[in-house]
Amino acid sequence: MSGVGVAAVAAQVLVVVLGTPLLTGLMRQVRARMEGRAGAGVAQPWRDMRKLLRKTPVTPTGTGPAFRVAPALLVATTAVAAALVPLASTATPVSGEADLILVVALLALGSVALALAGLDTGTAFGGMGASREMTVAALVEPTILLAVFALSIPAGTTNLPRIVEGALHEPARLASPAGLLATAALAVAVLAETGRIPVDNPSTHLELTMVHEAMVLEYAGPDLALVELGAQMRLTVLLGLLASLFAPWGIATGASAAAVALGLVLFAAKVAMLGAVLAAAEVFWAKVRLFRVPELLAGSFLLALLAVTSSYFLGGV
Amino acid sequence: MSDSVFTQLLDLACGAFLLTAVVVLWRRELSVIVDVFALQGVALATVPLLIGWHEGRWDLAAVAAGIAVLRAGILPHLMRRALTATTAPPHADEDEDDGASYGTNGPYGTASWDRTDGAHSPERTDRTDGTHRYRADAGEARETQPLVNVAASLLTAALLTLLAYAVSRPLIALDPSPATRALPVGLAVVLIGFFVLTTRRRALSQVVGFLLLDNGITAIAFLATSGVPLIVELGVSFDVLLAVLVLQILTTRMRTAFGTTDLDDLRELHD
Amino acid sequence: MPAAARGDRRGAAHRDRPVNTVATALAVAAGSAASGSAASLISGRVRAAVVGVCTGVSGVAGCCAGVAALGGARWSAELPWLLPLAGVHLHVDALSGLFMAVAGAVVAAVSLYGVGYSGHGRGGAASRGVQGVLPLFALTLVLVPAAASVSTFLVLWEAMALASLLLVLAEHRERPSVRTAGVWYAVMTHLGLVLLLTGLAWFAAGAGGEDFASLREGAGDLSPAARGGVFLLVTAAFASKAGAVPLHAWLPRAHPEAPSHISALMSAAMVNLGVYGIVRVGFDLLGGGARWWWLVLIAVGGLSAVYGILQAAVSSDLKRLLAYSTSENMGLVLIGVGAAGLFAAAGQRGPAALALGAALLHVVNHSAFKALLFCAAGSVLRATGVRDMDRLGGLRARMPVTAGLFALASLGAVALPPGNGFVSEWLLLQSLIHGLAVPGLSTAIVLPLAVALIALSAGVAAAVFVKALGVSFFARPRSPQAAEARESPASMLAGMGLLAAGCGVLALVPGLLGGALDRAVATAGLTGAGPLTGGGLRVELDGLAARLSPLWVTAALAAAVVLAAALPRLAVRRRSRHVRRRDVRLWDCGGGSPTPRMAYTATSFAEPLQRVFDDVLAPEQDVDVTPVRESAYLVERVRFQHAVPDRVEHRLYRPVLAALAVTGRGARRLAGGSVHLYLGYGFAVLVLLLAVLAVGW
Repeated sequence: MSGVGVAAVAAQVLVVVLGTPLLTGLMRQVRARMEGRAGAGVAQPWRDMRKLLRKTPVTPTGTGPAFRVAPALLVATTAVAAALVPLASTATPVSGEADLILVVALLALGSVALALAGLDTGTAFGGMGASREMTVAALVEPTILLAVFALSIPAGTTNLPRIVEGALHEPARLASPAGLLATAALAVAVLAETGRIPVDNPSTHLELTMVHEAMVLEYAGPDLALVELGAQMRLTVLLGLLASLFAPWGIATGASAAAVALGLVLFAAKVAMLGAVLAAAEVFWAKVRLFRVPELLAGSFLLALLAVTSSYFLGGV
Repeated sequence: MSDSVFTQLLDLACGAFLLTAVVVLWRRELSVIVDVFALQGVALATVPLLIGWHEGRWDLAAVAAGIAVLRAGILPHLMRRALTATTAPPHADEDEDDGASYGTNGPYGTASWDRTDGAHSPERTDRTDGTHRYRADAGEARETQPLVNVAASLLTAALLTLLAYAVSRPLIALDPSPATRALPVGLAVVLIGFFVLTTRRRALSQVVGFLLLDNGITAIAFLATSGVPLIVELGVSFDVLLAVLVLQILTTRMRTAFGTTDLDDLRELHD
Repeated sequence: MPAAARGDRRGAAHRDRPVNTVATALAVAAGSAASGSAASLISGRVRAAVVGVCTGVSGVAGCCAGVAALGGARWSAELPWLLPLAGVHLHVDALSGLFMAVAGAVVAAVSLYGVGYSGHGRGGAASRGVQGVLPLFALTLVLVPAAASVSTFLVLWEAMALASLLLVLAEHRERPSVRTAGVWYAVMTHLGLVLLLTGLAWFAAGAGGEDFASLREGAGDLSPAARGGVFLLVTAAFASKAGAVPLHAWLPRAHPEAPSHISALMSAAMVNLGVYGIVRVGFDLLGGGARWWWLVLIAVGGLSAVYGILQAAVSSDLKRLLAYSTSENMGLVLIGVGAAGLFAAAGQRGPAALALGAALLHVVNHSAFKALLFCAAGSVLRATGVRDMDRLGGLRARMPVTAGLFALASLGAVALPPGNGFVSEWLLLQSLIHGLAVPGLSTAIVLPLAVALIALSAGVAAAVFVKALGVSFFARPRSPQAAEARESPASMLAGMGLLAAGCGVLALVPGLLGGALDRAVATAGLTGAGPLTGGGLRVELDGLAARLSPLWVTAALAAAVVLAAALPRLAVRRRSRHVRRRDVRLWDCGGGSPTPRMAYTATSFAEPLQRVFDDVLAPEQDVDVTPVRESAYLVERVRFQHAVPDRVEHRLYRPVLAALAVTGRGARRLAGGSVHLYLGYGFAVLVLLLAVLAVGW
């Protein structure tokens, strides 16, 4: 089991790292087509990243270690999360450690690192972005943990592979009200965590609306490449997490290499589809004001709470 | 239909029923609220249909059809008419579906068109001025400033749901079955309806609050007794219809008297 | 607790060897504290060093005693001659050992830090009185958990309160605000003492004995109402000491105004004893109780957690922020303790033991990172003389070691993976999530809400410590004091280094504490349910599929960081490998080099959060525009005032204080100044009493 398991973990991380620019390209392409533009092609983020990586690394004056380390830490936390989440296989050497709370906390560590980097520059934009990012992150946390709670009730554990296996054996769990409500709550939380449209606009460069972009304004060259890669990987991992939790079909539960390969292909397909749907939906949505975001999150918090109560009360006591 | 599938479908229907009540609290556009209310009618109609199917009682299917026609068809239609009557001035026919099209923009479509301030004051002066009509209409077509803000309303709804579950525990313990286990959902909708009734300003949201309350009571009736006699349901429905007609007339009168449907203006009658 | 277990324990005490490790260590602690106190008579620069070393030795000895008790050693003693009437009863078991070890370790590290902190001779921290009281305060911190009778406990408790009060007042000559803080602290701590005295006296009267053993036996004879009353009184007193909202008002005043090493001792060791008291009385002596006790405790904990961290979020005073964060963490601990009681009341020992273990582990973790945070804040204060974060900044370049240590402690405080706080919060969340299996409506409603509150406080805590670290240490200095800051002396760095090492060990190998925690939880009455297994490198929950290996996670993260940092170099193999990083001007959207005034301050950083929680915090803002005399359109001066007052204090304390003032003014009218009048009052009361007696009989 260990050989295939190790290979599965490595493959998950590699697919996420290498495939993530393609997902971004796909989403931009979908958006462009729906808006009547030709689009730059699916591989454009790859080309951008290559270009950025080749530039000379620069250090803005007055910035310190926090600014330097943050991009690598962002990528690292997301990569470790990608290794833990059962994207393609539940039978991996790390499956015992793959705790849902740990995954959530790792991703939060990435945003904390980036917020500190934003403050480290000492510019108004950096501080503004950091402040907004931490505000949104603080409000997302209850939703995410309650959704985790709701998901862990039927499985009796917060261990991700166990939850996924449970859902595979008993698909009825997914269609229960608790499952659907938790999906909806987690989906809103994912939008907020990844800075997608109702909460933040990833392609904006207008001062008043920026959250994520404002924090990373000072990055250039290879550092910027890492920041972009990290942010995109985060989206991939969270979409993959959603797919694993709510559409677990095809994830390998055994040690067969073929099943893992199939799991990887299906993972790519599921995430690509989710990404395309998200990009298509974003065409029709507008970004909400920053101070309307709490309403959105309060709504998703309510959904998560309803998921917990309904899974407890309807689940037969 | 097997028991587990029945339970699953019933839970789903009840989940959708509760969810629509929550969305009513969440959204501000009155037109969206009406649409959501129509959806809730469908979810409510599914409940007797499922119970009837499961127990082989086909009269419940007739009840379900009646509920669907009334609560997903007639009542929303009446409310939409009231809405267009209040938002669009009589001489601007082309704007009639304005309210509806904002809503269909998607869940977050119009949140950025946010006009919390100035939505009330300029209405009377601007109404005749074509260039400012959007602002005036937006004030009427939206629940701009509820007495309790939306985030707090949602948190309150969460607490109300918990309360509903807590209160209905003894009832469930009397006869645990899939239907009675979903009973708290009905109670929660009743409480949320009452909450909407007390905290929303627009006359139309008040109507929706009242109807939510009634939907909740109907749901409790179906879930607790596995279906009420047809004649009772007919009587109740007739009452509700009448109440909505009266409220619609009241709304129109208010609109002509005050130029707005903000219920706080009724205080003027007191002075 | 079953009688058999108690008998067992007493048997073990008798079987101990004649020379007991705990007894020896405690004797050493007492001796060195006494000599430290005496050493305060030395004058000159050595005084601080000698006192510091003596206090440190006393702390190490206390820590050894605690560790020995955690390892299974027990010791009890009766010293009838030491205290008139009641005598002194001491008993050390695993539960007291845990708190003793934590207090001892904190004392040891902080007293080393204190040598440097008060060594510079400036201010009241170096004065003879403060140096004389410090070792005694340290000793009481270690000894309070060892008390085994009501009178001993109360005497030690009051000694601790008085010593800390004197230490809080150390700098009263420099700032008048210290005096106000001292008054608040004195009043609240003595009100707490009154509650404690009443509660424990009631308990002792009902149980028919005042040593803990007879309390334990007599607890069953008390009526449920009396037990509830005792629990409420005692819990109110202990919760106030732990800084739980709404009895927290002294905490955000006293902690910032005390010298920083005293703040560290208070926040990391004294506050814990409130939790110790609740666990000792609630679980061990009363033997658990009804559900409503624990629901009250969970409600208090949830309120403290969220309110504390929100106040910390809007505070721009570094030490006040840390003080409110103490309130938050104690709130989390109380949630854990309350959940444990709730599960135990439902007869579920497994989840109860897990929840209590999580709470105790959080006490340990909080002590480690909060002592370090306060010490680092003290270094900043010593280097700059400024506590206001809006005027700090840029310290990273000037005090690199302190900045690094503060960052490490913050990582623990935000409860994110490589930090030590994450382990205990993870355990706490696990215990709550798995507690849903406990039947009962209250659990089904309370647990999801508790999880949501913990999550919210964790999320806001992340914002709080990003603010504390980013605004005070990063960017550029916003005041001349901050620009001229210098790194602290070696002894302070060494003291902080010890604490940092503690944080690191707790973060990476928390499993080491597993056995000790199990024993402490068992002492609290939840025997036979060892919650943690796995030991050493990972934390694994007994009977649940939940495992955490902090060491491996940290290693994986470190490896991933190295790989990610190497990624650009891998990608540009073609070009010159030796591309050096180039220093460039800040871009700032083309704005050029921004001045420090443009950087975000603590106030501006907290603004969005403050707006979101506007209804909870109720901030006060005031804009005052003065136009030029000739024209109303030309503005001469704009004054902007902004304050976020403590709302609980406003709503709860102000009315009480106002009522007291009115009563006082009324009472003053009674004092006319005439001696005859005063004698008359006495005579009247005497006659009245006699009359009552005559009628009553």
